[in-house]
Amino acid sequence: MEGGWRSLITFRGAERRGTMMMLGILSFIIVLVLWWGAAALKLLPPQYLPSPGAVVVRFYDLLVKYGFIGDIGISIFRVWTAFLISAAMAIPFGIMMSSFPIVNGMSQSLIDFIRYLPVPALVPLTIIWLGIGEASKIALLWLGTFFQLVLLVADDARRVPREYIEIGLTTGAKPRHILGSIVLPAMLPSMVDNLRITLGWCWTYLIIAEIVAADSGIGYVIMSARRYVKTDEVMAGILAIGIIGLATDQAIRWLHRRWFIYLT
Amino acid sequence: MAHFLEIDHVTKTFAVNGAAGIHVIDDVSMQVAEGEVVVFLGPSGCGKSTLMRMVGGLETPTSGRIMLEGREVKGPDRQKGMVFQSYSSFPWLKVIDNVRFGLKFRSDLSAKEKDRIARHYLQMVGLSEFEDYWVNRISGGMRQRVAIARTFAAGPDILLMDEPFGALDAQNREFLQLQLRGLCLKERKTVIFVTHDVEEAAFLADRIFVFSARPAKILEEIAICDLLPQSRDLQLRESDTFFRLRNRILGLTRTQALRSEQLEVKGP
Repeated sequence: MEGGWRSLITFRGAERRGTMMMLGILSFIIVLVLWWGAAALKLLPPQYLPSPGAVVVRFYDLLVKYGFIGDIGISIFRVWTAFLISAAMAIPFGIMMSSFPIVNGMSQSLIDFIRYLPVPALVPLTIIWLGIGEASKIALLWLGTFFQLVLLVADDARRVPREYIEIGLTTGAKPRHILGSIVLPAMLPSMVDNLRITLGWCWTYLIIAEIVAADSGIGYVIMSARRYVKTDEVMAGILAIGIIGLATDQAIRWLHRRWFIYLT
Repeated sequence: MAHFLEIDHVTKTFAVNGAAGIHVIDDVSMQVAEGEVVVFLGPSGCGKSTLMRMVGGLETPTSGRIMLEGREVKGPDRQKGMVFQSYSSFPWLKVIDNVRFGLKFRSDLSAKEKDRIARHYLQMVGLSEFEDYWVNRISGGMRQRVAIARTFAAGPDILLMDEPFGALDAQNREFLQLQLRGLCLKERKTVIFVTHDVEEAAFLADRIFVFSARPAKILEEIAICDLLPQSRDLQLRESDTFFRLRNRILGLTRTQALRSEQLEVKGP
């Protein structure tokens, strides 16, 4: 293979997609083998470190016997609801921030202030205001992502080259035309990347929300398993989040390549 | 009779941190006739682009005024088309759609008519067979031709070109200059072309305005149309007439380029 293995250890060497995927799979196998070896050698008692096999069996049991699929479903529902609300608000708002100085001036400092508040610190407030139902969880995820996303979107919009805007202005486009036909398509590739990253944060905040106060969801399953030191169940829960995260991320990357084929 | 384009005692000062800052253009006046190809030649950063952008309505003069077809230029619109050096076309649109974009916001034409015009100008720049290509996958010179086709298709009264061939290699540039000169003659379009390349200026222009280093003043006006034939080809570039003309202009610009370079330095 011409330059195949050599390029992998070359400074800034060429990356080929097939090889990169193989390396990705290889890294998973290495971690699994290490884990399995540590468990088989009983480096730690099984209560602390169950074997990969035990976790997989437990995962399967949870799915078919204990309705874990419902918990996964409700967690995904919470994440996507909050994420979509965040995105639906942040995208127009961010674009407005980049378009009109008054919107930017009025919101920049306020957003920065809220953005630096750690989400867990807001849990008591969301519970006082909204109780422990779905609304408070979605509100928490929204708080954690909206203010970040709005700034990312505003930056994406600001990075649209001045020339593109001026092509619009000199072909008779009104500001709304420029936003719809130029700014939005121009910023879309980087915005989709930012949405993908924000979706990942949603999962972090979801588990916080579900660990603090919930009676369903992956975070709840993990937390109740911990109470009885069912480490295999805790790890099965973590595994579920990891798999969902990986799958979503890969799916969005795939869509990104398909939608933005003109970039390559 | 009023002139097609009249730049009347225009100055421009850019504010820096609210205070009056950089003096870019110093009392420039000129008249341009309809169908004329005018080149603004000057060192980088001298303010010639700013002057052109003011004609396009993308900047406002600090004092003085610019009249186009008897009306004062107040802002950008479809009458004043622009071709830029970079980001001159949209990567998310295919070649033909980039050209169609020039007509996108015209409600007086049917979709069919827009399509016909777009295809016509795509053919004029010789890119018909690339209409379904993404602009990122064609060469830099082709991308500039797409931008030129789009701007012609939009049907502006005046074409403003800001160093459109500045990023191309020498062979490509020569070819595009030749094509552009032909297109301008054929369409009888009024053009302002900004460049710091002396040969490019001499080859394209009916008239050259040589600008000084910042603040830009007109150093000299050269009526190229009295010195070179209307229609020009690559042989002309080899001729003695062209060579002497080029040397004469180079002599004018050399000292300005040095001054301009020193002005670029903002501090240690």
